[in-house]
Amino acid sequence: MRGCARGLRLGAFAALLVALSGCRGCPSSRPPIHLNPNMDNQPKLLAQAESGFFADGKAMRTPVEGTVARGGLAAFEPASSGRDAAGDYLAGSPVAASEGVLRRGEQRYGVFCAPCHGERGDGRGMLYQRAQVESADLLAPRIRQMPEGQLFEVIGDGFGLMPPYRAQVPVVDRWAIVAHVRALQAAAGPDLPAVGEAAATAAEGQGAAAAEEAQ
Amino acid sequence: MSDAHQERRYWRSVERLLESPALHQEPSPELADGADLPPDELTRRSVMKLLGASFALAGLTGCRRPEEHIVPYVQAPEGLVPGVPQRYATTFPLGADAYGLLVESHEGRPTKVEGNPQHPATCGAATAWMQAATLELYDPDRSRRVLRRQRAAADEAGEGGEDEPGLQAGGWDDFVAAWRQGAEGIAAGGGAGLAVLVEETSSPTLGRLVSELRRRYPAARVVAWSPVSDGAIYRGLGGRRPWYDLEHARVVLALDCDLLLTESNSLHHARGFAAARRPERAAEGMLRLYAVESTLTLTGANADHRLRLQSRRVPAFLAALGRELGVAAGGGDAARELPAEVAARVPVIARDLRAAGSGALVAAGRRQPEAVHRQVLAINQALGAVGTTLALQPLADVLWGEAEGLRELVAGMAAGEVETLVMVGGNPAYDAPADLGFAAALDRVPVSVHLSSRRDETSRRATWHLPRAHFLEAWGDARSVDGTASVIQPLIAPLLGGISDVELLALVAHGEARPGHEEVRETWAARGVGGEEAWRQALHDGVLPPGSEAGAGTAAMVGAAPAPEPAAEAEPAAAAVPPAAGEGSPAGGEDGYEIVFCPSPYLWDGRFANNAWLQELPHPLTKVTWGNAALVSPATAAELGVGAGDRLLLNHAGHKLALPVFVLPGQADGSIAVELGYGRAAAGRVGDGVGRDAYRLRTAAAPWIATAVTAHRTWGDGTLVQTQEHARMEGRQLVREAPVAAFLANPGFAQEPEAKLRLESLWPEPAYDEGPQWGMAVDLSRCIGCMACVAACQSENNIPVVGPEMIARGREMHWLRVDRYFAGDAADPEVVFQPVPCMHCENAPCEQVCPVAATVHDGQGLNLMVYNRCIGTRYCSNNCPYKVRRFNFFNYTKATPEIGKMAMNPDVTVRSRGVMEKCTYCVQRISEGKLAAKSAGRELRDGDVVTACQQSCPTEAILFGDLLQADSRVVERKASPRDYTLLAELNNKPRTTYQAKIRNPNPEWT
Repeated sequence: MRGCARGLRLGAFAALLVALSGCRGCPSSRPPIHLNPNMDNQPKLLAQAESGFFADGKAMRTPVEGTVARGGLAAFEPASSGRDAAGDYLAGSPVAASEGVLRRGEQRYGVFCAPCHGERGDGRGMLYQRAQVESADLLAPRIRQMPEGQLFEVIGDGFGLMPPYRAQVPVVDRWAIVAHVRALQAAAGPDLPAVGEAAATAAEGQGAAAAEEAQ
Repeated sequence: MSDAHQERRYWRSVERLLESPALHQEPSPELADGADLPPDELTRRSVMKLLGASFALAGLTGCRRPEEHIVPYVQAPEGLVPGVPQRYATTFPLGADAYGLLVESHEGRPTKVEGNPQHPATCGAATAWMQAATLELYDPDRSRRVLRRQRAAADEAGEGGEDEPGLQAGGWDDFVAAWRQGAEGIAAGGGAGLAVLVEETSSPTLGRLVSELRRRYPAARVVAWSPVSDGAIYRGLGGRRPWYDLEHARVVLALDCDLLLTESNSLHHARGFAAARRPERAAEGMLRLYAVESTLTLTGANADHRLRLQSRRVPAFLAALGRELGVAAGGGDAARELPAEVAARVPVIARDLRAAGSGALVAAGRRQPEAVHRQVLAINQALGAVGTTLALQPLADVLWGEAEGLRELVAGMAAGEVETLVMVGGNPAYDAPADLGFAAALDRVPVSVHLSSRRDETSRRATWHLPRAHFLEAWGDARSVDGTASVIQPLIAPLLGGISDVELLALVAHGEARPGHEEVRETWAARGVGGEEAWRQALHDGVLPPGSEAGAGTAAMVGAAPAPEPAAEAEPAAAAVPPAAGEGSPAGGEDGYEIVFCPSPYLWDGRFANNAWLQELPHPLTKVTWGNAALVSPATAAELGVGAGDRLLLNHAGHKLALPVFVLPGQADGSIAVELGYGRAAAGRVGDGVGRDAYRLRTAAAPWIATAVTAHRTWGDGTLVQTQEHARMEGRQLVREAPVAAFLANPGFAQEPEAKLRLESLWPEPAYDEGPQWGMAVDLSRCIGCMACVAACQSENNIPVVGPEMIARGREMHWLRVDRYFAGDAADPEVVFQPVPCMHCENAPCEQVCPVAATVHDGQGLNLMVYNRCIGTRYCSNNCPYKVRRFNFFNYTKATPEIGKMAMNPDVTVRSRGVMEKCTYCVQRISEGKLAAKSAGRELRDGDVVTACQQSCPTEAILFGDLLQADSRVVERKASPRDYTLLAELNNKPRTTYQAKIRNPNPEWT
């Protein structure tokens, strides 16, 4: 009996300790107590998880160079590289600049480009307004003179501080953004006749099918 | 008629049938021995061991929530959306064969293996060992470093672990530097003293490197060795490989040939077999399969007629058949060697073959000698099969493994002629013929290099061990039996710094290290796939575009074959065969028993021995897990005085081995079958010491059939761990079957037992009239029992491995089981297979007893399991009439090592202790299919959702789909008159239904 009572007292004391240690309002740098694991953390690797196996801690691996996934052939088409067979930039977009393409381009531009380059393409986006970080002025003559293939490539590969947007923006959307950039340039002032020409040839030319896909 | 058939008694093992004749009236205890006992510490520990027990990692996180970090890509690869899996075409090389795969990859980590529908050898299906490749890749026991062993120091201390004295760890660069130093000396002697031992391979790149090596070192020996080889077939057919077209065959005779499971190209055979046996088209004729074999194989189990015949007597059978068909017969005294009941059937089979004309096919297995294959070719030519059901493919540059070459090499090694031995893969110290003494000879070679995925039996004796890259990590290539070439495309960079076969051979051949990718490109450029575009297309498709030189396989086949040389002197088997035993006399005869060696259908030649999924997968016929046995017929067992639980000591020419006994109905009397691939000493923590090493009985002269064997009972416990005894039939008609004539006369025979049932429910039933409503159909006519579906389910659904102790207590976790029932005579039974997943009953008995609503129904007719709610009462399992629910007695996955986590499917919950689980109809795949259809802006179509078991099935026995979609294949299948419900009288309304098995017996047989 004595042992039993002692056990009870010890138990009560332990319960008190647990209750106190779990009290709210005690700041701690350690993660919270989690008594019922309940399969909240499972020994499997979800997207963007950490892995102790790899030295860089990344559970997400980059596919081996030179491999081709199912459905991955499109990445190698000329329209996906911005360059022709000889390795020169395409002068015009292979995607015809229809209304649907322009609308899609404006929308995607607003998501991915406007924060830095600004809604009008003048390089005065939110990043400049808040932190005075300059981005390229897309209306500058240097950019106006670039072939459309080069604009396309820069979106995919990045340039200077600009990171690559290859993963986030699919090929068709990249061409749509190029079309929207050309439209912004045309809207800002007619100081470069070559722009209109390039757009005209593209509209008549090759990429009608691709444009339908874009719609 | 059908009544007589349906009242057949089905039984599960010889012991049950013989020892207790009244068994079907008197049920045996419902639970396995020990099923009601609490787990003890020993079983707990062995379970933990299986999954790589590194408690330091898993155990110390305590009760605080673990900290998690988000680790994104810095440079995200194009086209890869985190969380959306990708698929890559690649190729599984196995010996001289190649199997095209599509491998699912989650963020650059391969997670699930499936067949490539475009590849002729897989047809979209995949075998169990292919599916287990991901677990093989993420095996924590794979070696990670180049190891150099100073023999003198090591010998003093004896063998040990990686920290043994004299062992020096390094990297690939260290080996390259050492090789270049030594290569100068080798080149000076023209390669004398250099020997290269490769595995049997059909790889164009390895073939090219070997010929370059021979040019550089003309005096070097290059030998290929694989313990399981089709070399005898190739040589017997005059340097060609056979490509069987079962789909267009009418009558097939398999001679000691497991066409459907362990012979090369089995998936293609299974697909054709099922396509040629559609009961719905029975009126137009169905394929009829005869099997003549010693041990009961999957092919024999699916045959319409099967003859038990010792493997050594197959030449005599062939001679008798040849005489019937008017083909010049080789040696073999049929009258003397064939048992009377077999000899009596030969004319019947011959008549049927002849009647089938060019739709006939005779196939002999790799166990039979060259002379048999020559004779088989002559018979096929006489029947007109060559060019129709049999195509012969010359594959000139395959490196065939042969025992003769290995014998010469070992003699050279023992004589001190070999100074440098490079072993590219393989494990000859384990699997070389026992009489060659390879291991002892290896110790005499001053410099020996072994490339191997783990530090195995051979690596432990070699002076250099190089870690080998898994095929999912390295570039390579291979060709299938029909000549289709395909590239092995890596899914991930080598996890543990492995070197590929191509890279090591390139170093030896060129004297400098070159990336494997360049070597493979070079080979293919020379074969007309030089351009970037063609190469990328080849990688994308997994097979070469038709018309290109290297992919011209099928087109280049030889239609009409030249007459084979007369088999004059080469009749090695004939002389050694004793007269057939008369009825009643000892079946072994005075000339002893024969041992027939079989590759394990899962571990193959032992290379997959450390794969826990494969070790735990029940054998298709014996249902034994975690071990192998000596398979004997009931009569032979009685003659030897052994039974289940005993051990048998086999003695073949002084090589002895004791094995547990398994009494297998259908085994030929006097023939003892033993599976290779078990009893590894240095496979890893899973495979070490599991089963017995049958290579110790195998000699160079008798690689497949050993005669003059003595056998007797010996001491020791021969208990085997089996799963089939865990679920029982209780005399009910769970499997239904009929011969084709009876089916045509009464197509609805399978539905008759339920015709008079009046089923009423106690409560209002939901209508389930809004789609999709999921359902499954399992066609017993198509199911061949190969177990690929069970392996696929394990891989897809993160099903834990529990170990032999738990299996013995009936606690296996496989969500899908394949029941195997015997019917008829104990000596020579018929076999039926029945896959049983969760039935997803509309009136689910499990749901009615769950106190916490952890198992509930959804609007699509799925019987769901809510893991977090489950408190583990196991009432649901008790109330399930199909016994398909599985309970986690332990936290089986708690000790999963970091590398093992990559083998888990991220889309499926990893269950914890105390949780019930069961088949979900692959609910994650249903969601994936629905999302894909939604984002494509279209309705869900038939085929958008394919369950893992359905995907892997080579015969399309399992179909899954929306029952409300009128044109879906599953609706069509369920409309068959053969469709029946398991335990329909319980009114559970299962969504999974079965289609009765239809056999195609020869009316002349009886």
